[in-house]
Parts: sequence; C-alpha cells; structure tokens
Amino acid sequence: MSDFSEELVRPTTEDEQGETCVLSGTGMCFPWLQKHIETVATGGKREKDFAQTTSACLSFIQEALLKHQWQQAAEYMHSYLQILEDSDSNKRQGAPEIIWRLGSEILYYHPKSSLETFNTFADRMKNIGVMNYLKISLQHALYLLHHGLLEDANRNLSQAETWRYGEKSSSKEVLINLIQAYKGLLQYYTWSKKKMELSQLDEDDYAYNTASQNMLNHSWKTSINLCALIQIPGVWDPFVKSYVEMLEFYGDQDGAREVLTNYAYDEKFPSNPNAHIYLYGFLKRERAPREKLISVLKILYQIVPSHKLMLEFHRLLRKSEKEEHHKLGLEVLFGVLDFAGCTKNITAWKYLAKYLRQTLMGSHLAWVQEEWNSRKNWWPRFHFSYFWAKSDWKDDKTLACEKALVAGILLGKGCRYFRYVKKQDHQVLQKKIKQMKKSVKKYSIVNPGL
Amino acid sequence: MGWAGLAGGGDVEEARASLTTASTPPPHNSGGEEGICPWAYLSYRQRRFSILGGPVLATSLARLLGELLHEELAARWEQLLLDDTFTGGALAWVPGRMPGAGQLVYPAGGALDRLYFQKVSLTPGSEPRVLGDPGHIQLRGPVRQVVTRTVQGEALLAVRSDYHCALWKVGKPGQPAPLQVLQVEKGATGISLSPHLPGELTVCSRSGAVCLWNPQDGLRQVYKDPETLVFRDPSPWRWADFTAHPRVLTVGDRTGVKLVDTQGPPGCGLLLFRGGAEASCQKGERVLLTQYLGDCSPESLQPTFHLVCTQFSLYLVDERLPLVPLLKWNHGLSSTPVVAQLLPPPRPGCPRPLLLAGQAGELQLLHITGEGASTPRLAGPPQSLPSRSNSLSAFPLLEPKSQWRLQERLSAPTIGLAATVLPSASTPVLSLFQLSAAGDVFHQRLHLQADPRPDSPAPTASWTPRATSRCSRWLKTLLEVPLTPPMWAAPTFSHRRLLGSFESREVEGKVPEGLRTAMAEGRLLQHRDLGLLPTREQPPAPEPGPEDELSERLEAAWEGQVAAWWERRQGGSSGPGKQPKRHKRRTQLSSTFSSLSGRLDLSDATSPPRSPDRTVPEARPQPPVTPPSQELTQGPWAEGIPSERQQTLRDYMAELPLQGDTPGGASAPSSQTSSIRGTSSRQQTLRDCTVKLQLRGDTAGGASMPSSQTSSVRATLSRQQAAILSGSQPLRKKPRMGF
Repeated sequence: MSDFSEELVRPTTEDEQGETCVLSGTGMCFPWLQKHIETVATGGKREKDFAQTTSACLSFIQEALLKHQWQQAAEYMHSYLQILEDSDSNKRQGAPEIIWRLGSEILYYHPKSSLETFNTFADRMKNIGVMNYLKISLQHALYLLHHGLLEDANRNLSQAETWRYGEKSSSKEVLINLIQAYKGLLQYYTWSKKKMELSQLDEDDYAYNTASQNMLNHSWKTSINLCALIQIPGVWDPFVKSYVEMLEFYGDQDGAREVLTNYAYDEKFPSNPNAHIYLYGFLKRERAPREKLISVLKILYQIVPSHKLMLEFHRLLRKSEKEEHHKLGLEVLFGVLDFAGCTKNITAWKYLAKYLRQTLMGSHLAWVQEEWNSRKNWWPRFHFSYFWAKSDWKDDKTLACEKALVAGILLGKGCRYFRYVKKQDHQVLQKKIKQMKKSVKKYSIVNPGL
Repeated sequence: MGWAGLAGGGDVEEARASLTTASTPPPHNSGGEEGICPWAYLSYRQRRFSILGGPVLATSLARLLGELLHEELAARWEQLLLDDTFTGGALAWVPGRMPGAGQLVYPAGGALDRLYFQKVSLTPGSEPRVLGDPGHIQLRGPVRQVVTRTVQGEALLAVRSDYHCALWKVGKPGQPAPLQVLQVEKGATGISLSPHLPGELTVCSRSGAVCLWNPQDGLRQVYKDPETLVFRDPSPWRWADFTAHPRVLTVGDRTGVKLVDTQGPPGCGLLLFRGGAEASCQKGERVLLTQYLGDCSPESLQPTFHLVCTQFSLYLVDERLPLVPLLKWNHGLSSTPVVAQLLPPPRPGCPRPLLLAGQAGELQLLHITGEGASTPRLAGPPQSLPSRSNSLSAFPLLEPKSQWRLQERLSAPTIGLAATVLPSASTPVLSLFQLSAAGDVFHQRLHLQADPRPDSPAPTASWTPRATSRCSRWLKTLLEVPLTPPMWAAPTFSHRRLLGSFESREVEGKVPEGLRTAMAEGRLLQHRDLGLLPTREQPPAPEPGPEDELSERLEAAWEGQVAAWWERRQGGSSGPGKQPKRHKRRTQLSSTFSSLSGRLDLSDATSPPRSPDRTVPEARPQPPVTPPSQELTQGPWAEGIPSERQQTLRDYMAELPLQGDTPGGASAPSSQTSSIRGTSSRQQTLRDCTVKLQLRGDTAGGASMPSSQTSSVRATLSRQQAAILSGSQPLRKKPRMGF
C-alpha cells in the first residue's frame, strides 16, 4: 500500500504549486481565511493592484461557472489571461493549469463553442505551460472521445506519447502510461468492432483472412499499450477487462490468468472487489475446478459479503462435498441478508428457508445457532418486525411467506411476523402457508423438542 | 396565520443573543467600520482605572485575568478558524403521513434552547402553508444538531446539545414522545440515527468515544480512540454514521473515516477514507463532514456510498472499495461545509440532487447518477443556488445604517438545512428550508427544468406578490426594533462614587482624609495634605511597585547598605497599623469593583480563583489547542459507560414542559449566556414578516432548476419573556445544561 501512496503523492505536488494557503497552528489549511490573513502577513501592505484584480477576476469566473453563466465566464476569462504576465513567478507557473481547467469547462458548456475553438484552445494551452502538456493532451483526447471523434483522439494521444521534455519524472511516467493505456483502449474498441464484423463473415471468405490479420496487428499493439499501466498499482478496471478479453481471444490463457491474478492478489494494489469478480469470471469460462472457484469467491465474500455473486457462491458451497463448505454456505446466506440493500432479495430468502430446513434436518443445529447468536438481538427488528410483515405481505406475498418460514424457524411460533402471515387468508398460498406451519413446528430452533 | 409564522425564532435582539450563544463571531467587518475597535473610546478611561487600581489589584489578578483571556482568545480563534458546533445542521423536516405535509423542527430562542415543531403543508403549485402555532419543548442547553429519520414508518428525532443528546419519537398526533436522554461528559460532537433499525443512534464524544444506543440494549461504547485515525491532529471532533450493514458504523475524525464493526473485537476496522495520497488530498486538508448516503430509496444509487467533505473538495466513497474515492469535486465553498443532503430523484430515472450548504450561506446543488453497478458521476455541471445575501438588492434602498443591519441579518451563518422533493407533481418541486443563526427560517422553491438546453435563456426567479409584501413587512419590523446595546459594556468608574463609599464609613486618621480631599479636588497629593510625613516610607510614593523596590535595593547595595535597607524594609512592612489599614482599603475598593470581579475574593488573592461560570473544571470543553492526549483518556469516559448508563430518562425529562406549557422562567432557566445578555426588556414582537429574496440564480444546462424563493421570518418570543428568563436565574452558575 505504501508504494501506491508514493506514486500518487507526486502528481498532486504539481497542483499545489500555484496555491497558497493559510495553515493554522494545527496544520489545517483554511482557504477562506486567505483574504483576511494576507494583509496581516504582509505587515498591512495590500496586495498589488495586479494581483488584486486577477484574484477578483478568478472568483468572478468561478461564480459565473457555478451559476451556469458561460458567456459571462468566457468574458472574464478573456481578462484573466493577463495573469500569464504576472511578475510573481509562482503565480505565473500555476496559472496555465487554472486557465486550462476553467477554460475547458467554459468551452465544454458554452453555447457558441465549437470543436475548432476547443482544439485551438487546447493546443495553445499545451504549449503555454509545458509542464501541463501531457495532462492537457489526455484531457483533450477525452473531450474528443466524448464527441465521438475517435480518430482525432487517437492522433492526439499518439502525439502526446512521443512528446519528450526534460527529465523523466515518475509523475510524468504515470501520465505517459495513462496516455498509452487510453490509446490501447481506443485500439481495443476498433478491435472489438472488427471482431464483430469478423463474426458476421464467412470463414472461407477472402475478406476473413485480411480482417483477422488486421485484428492480430491491432491486438499486438494494444497489448503493449495496455500492459504498462496495469503493472502500476491502482484501479484500472476497464483496461484490465479489455486486455484480458484480447488475450483470451488469441488463446493466451496463461497470460490472462497471470494478469488477473496479479490484479486481484498483488498486495500493492488497493483492495478491489472487481478484480476478484473478473478472475472468477475468467476461471468460470475456463471451467476451472469448483475448489478453485470457491477459493476466489471466498475472498470476494470477505470483501463484499453482499455481492450478488454470493448466491452463486452459496450454490457452489451447497454442492461441495466438504462439511465446512456446507457450514460456510449457511454463513454466506446470513451474510447477504445482513445488508440493507438485500433485504428484499427473494432468492436469498428462498435459499435461506430451504437451506435452514436442510441444515436442521442434517442435525446441524449448532451451525444455525452460531449464526443466529450474533444476529438475534437485531434481526427481529431489522427483518421480522410487524411493520415489515404488513408491508411485505402487501408488496410481495411470496417473499412474505419465505421470510415467515425463516422467522418461524429462528424465532418460534410466537414471532409476530410468522403470526401475521399465518393469519392471512390467501387462496393460492394456502398450501404454502400450511407447509410453512408444518415446517416451523418441526424445525424451529426455539423449541427443538417439538 | 401565514407562511411567515414559520420562523418562530426570537426577535432581533434575541437573534443577536443567539449569535453569541452559537459562539459565532458577529460579522464585524462587513460594514464600513472595518478595523475599528468598537471599544476604542473606552480605552482612556480604562487606562485611568488601571492606574488607579493597579497597586490594589495585585499582579495575581492580572495573571488570572490574563490566563482566562488567553484561553478565551484561543478558543475564539479556533472557532473563527473552524466552527464545528453546528455540523450536521439544526433544522429537520419530519415528513407526515400525507405527501407534502410534515413538520419543521428547529431551535429558537435567545440561547437556541427551545425546540420548535411547526406543522407545514407543502403544495407543488403554491407557497407552503403554516398550520397553527408551533409547539415547543424547552431544553436546558443550546441545540446544535437536529436529526430525523423515518424507519419502518416510525419518525424519530434526535437532538444534540453540547453535553446532552436526546431522542424523541414523533407520533402521529404530532406530539413528540421522549425516548431517551444521554449525557456526554466531554461534550458531544455528532449524533446520527440509524436508517435501518428504529430508535438506534450513535453519539460521538470529544473524548474519542463512539457509543451506540438502542431501545433494547441501552448504551454501548463501540469505539474509543483518543488519537486520530491517520495522523496526529489535535481536533477532538468525531463523527459517526451508519453503513449499508446495520452493525457496521463509520467513525470519522479530521484525518479520515474508518469502518468499524460493532460486533467485532474493539479497535479493528478498515479505513474507508484517508486524508492522503489515494484521494490526492492537499496539504492541510481535513475532513469536515461525512455522511452516509444510502438512507433513502435504493433504486437509483447503491446503498453503499458515503460522502466526505473537506475544506476543498467533496468525495464520494464506496464502502466496498475503500480508500479510493469514486468521485472528487472541488466545491470551492468559501466557508465550512455544514450540511449535505442527498434527496430522492425528482422523477424515476433522474439523477439524485445532492445539496451542500456552507456556513456563510452558500448553497450548491449537484446531480449524482450511477444506475446499477456503474460508478456514480456528476450529471451536468454543479450549480450554486442563490444565497440569502443575494436577496439584498430586492429590498428597497435604505439608509446606510439600516442597510447594514439588513445585510448583517441576512448574512448570519447558516446553521441548518432541510429539503424535500414534492412528489406527484407535473414538474417536480424541490422545497428547501434554511435556518440562519439569527433565528430566521428561509424557504426556497426550485422547479425542475423540463428541457435544459445550453443556449436557452437563463430562467429568472419569480416572486409572488405575497412574498414581496411579507418581505417588506419583515423589514419594517426589523428596523423598528432599536439597536442592541453593546454586548459588553465596560464598567464605569467614578472616583466620586468611590469617595462616597469612603464617606459612609468611619475614617480614622489624617492620611486617608487628606487623600480623600485631594482626590475630590482632583489635584496631586502632597505631603502637606497628609500632615505628618511618614518617615519610615523611604520613597514617598503611596504604593511602591516592585520595580521601585528593586531599584531601591540596588541603590542601597551600591552604597553598601543592603543589610540596613533590609532591616528597614522588614520593620516597615511588619509595622503595626499600616497593614490592616491597607487591607481595609482593599476590601472597600473591591466592593466597588464587584461589577467586574463577580465572586473574586480579593482578601485572599492567593487562593485559586473561581471563575463565575466555570465552577466544575472538568465540565469545561477541552480547549482545542493541542490537548494532551493522556488527559483525554483519563476522563470520566475512561471509566466509561457504567456512569453513563446511570443517566435516567426521568431525571431530565421531569424538567421538560411539553407543548403548550409556558416556559416558566424559574423552572426552565435559560443558559448562562442569555443571562448576561438579557439586560433590557422589550415587548417588541416581530410577527408575520417575510423576506423576499432576490434571485440571481440564472440556471441553464444540466438538470437545472429555476427557482422561486420566498423566505420568512417570524419572531414570537418577546423580549419581556427573555428578561424574565434571565432575571430569574442570576444565581445559577452550573455550567452544564441538561435537557
């Protein structure tokens, strides 16, 4: 994790250059005190007129942006450009980035702005602050992408990729990697389009060969572009996904596995549930043994117990021969239903009702009690309150029946939820309710003797 | 009856008082008087007083006053830098059973110690209507935060004061039923209600402890760490909120936010947000506000998102992907963010509005989308809503002084925000209430713009005639109230009065008499006035200061007569007659200074002084300036919960007159601050007045909303009542105020 922090620290230092900030005795920074304290710090001397006007202008631009007055903001921006001639070198250096950020936002929304205007602005800005060349190029490319101009974006990225200035710093390296990766992503896009075309072509067709040849070329270039970024700790979901898809298409299963395993298990990367989901998906496509799938999902279970794959995990565990897996299967179901977003998941309740019965039939009362002990002081209020009984019955009768069965097993016949559902007279569900009553009578953990 | 009845706050006087209770420095330099000390004209007189009283009031007093002053200044400075007392907001909207009907809950009164419940009916087409007079509950402490949640059809209301937290159930007839009162020894910094389980709440203390309370298990400490999470920060501010798992909490401080499993072993947990590189935080960036965003309908956003606000940026964090924020936006607020509120989508499929309010009155509206599994993002550019002070130009032109008063009133800090989206309307309407520290409640209505095109003309705000008329009425009443006397008046010292007290006593000896006549004539005291020249006193100065002694001694030493000098001195000071006489004079003088020194006992100047309003030292909130951490751990909180559990509902609730009860002054004394302030009694009552706010909110693009905004102010509490309140309890010196 520490490396990850290191990497990210550097790009931010550049941002700070232009900004001055009031640090209190506690080390905290208060941007809004700047104005009041500046006069104190300069011993009562006021800021120079130039600095005053530029800072006032900046605040006008920001205000106009927040009020969506793009035209007004553009006019202010016109005046703000004079900051590039500030005698304060600190401010002068920080200015291009501020101008770029605000200016691109204005041009993005301005009613009279066109692609050409934006391109001209971006090209100018790239060369005013040489330090920002890469960052602006990348954002320019994203703007073009947003407007559907893939070719232009690609050209832009290629240009930025070959750009060299000064020494190679690590922050620059990350940016170059990002630029390459976006280029790779663009190439992936064209590749997948070609793949689509190819799937529509006949294999004996002459065009098929050239097309597949084309694709091969693309994938080779893309893989070079993508793999550099993926090595750096971070969250690179779309890049990893497309890279793996290409590797898989060309049969490089080992390569794909390595990339995914690295992405999921490398300590330096931030904990990312998607990494495990991708790995699981890959292994599933590969028809990996159940044991392997379970081990991947086990980690996902530890990170996100509420994930929808957990029900699949439960099915896998249920089918497993190992007793500990059966126990884990129960744990997983309880875990899913702990979460606020899953309370109405009918599949989970169905599974739990069925599995509880099964577990109790298999005389594993201790398992159920172990899970229930940590939940018995809040699940009744969370799931089985009178309010939910009424509202569940109103909204979804099947859900209410499943929940009532679970409530009956866990809390006994006296439970309000169970009693409420039991009392309801419903023709279609009559049989089900009857069954439910029988099951509760038989398996309820409150009165195991009965 | 009208909308204006909504803001049942105090009148202008009261509002000023509330400013002081809120410990918010009044906006001094918003006018043209920048840089001029309002007490400057007193300094000459004060200087004379100090010359006169200097010898009498020994250095110990100066030291004591200096200490207190230093402490006060340090606290004020901290507060000026960052005021976190109202974090979370003190205004809440409790929805009723019918859509559009509900109650506004807010504190009012001079010390913000009265909790008002005002029924309001909102209709999409017209202005909100206030139903009846507000009911209120008198509390024994200023209200800092009001939180409300409706869980499983049960509306709950939690209130945080400085040292107490309380929970009410807002039943169907609108009569709130008290559930629990908790006492927080070190001072509470945050309270939040569970969105999952009815009645469950967390309370954070300055000691670094987080407690969970629920009706079944009572109070339980779930987390305790006097140190901050990521790096060392002196702030004792803590915050806790809930997550998608009902048994996992977030615990936040200035440096980060942590996920804590209340069922797991104590102390363990996963960092959710860290002020550092992962979020590319700036130097000196601190967490000022955190909030769980999964409380309402989970249809459009995952219920796993948390909002973290710093002084620079706003972060959206997913608890499934800790440490790496999903969204970062530079909010650019010019003051501390106080409240954030995520609202349900105005229409199915629309982005969800997120409101962010800064203390200086700024309001920002963001739109957040993220259907299903996709990451959340901003839909359209964020938008700033017109603030209260924007409405200034809508008022008629006033003379400068009145203009300044109006401006000051409108720019009082925001201490609460409540918003609700009105359903079942052709164009959804966002109703927005703001509470200012002056006690005014403002209302704003925003319509969802149907067809946002970037080149369409910016829609302008509309004003109903009703709002305009209320506005002018409010202004009229505001200006009718005479200006407040200065909050603190320097004591006046008259040597004639001083002499009068001399005369009333038997004065023996010629020396004092001579002194008296000299003073009465206002001339120098000369030897002949005293008759006999006191030969033993070497320098004839009436009271040689320590410097004189020193130079005298040095002089003697130079001449080689130190021993003789010492003898002389010894003999002089222990000489009979002089010491008791001087002592007497001191006591006499001190009695005339009682206006200044309260309980100070000058006859025993060496004993530790007791400041009038702080008799229990540990009850004092820790001064935020680098409190030693060890000290914090040894507080009563360390011994912990048992003592906390002893708190009983009855003890405090016995003192709660419910709705309809007149706040009998004697039974419900207000806070210390109001007793200082309640000097004049006035029957002036502000009633039914509204402010019309001018809107400059030209809105275009995105899912922006043109807004119509009315605001209203009402003052019900008469000055007279306040005077009764304050007059009835001058002897109450308990620093801790219970509910």
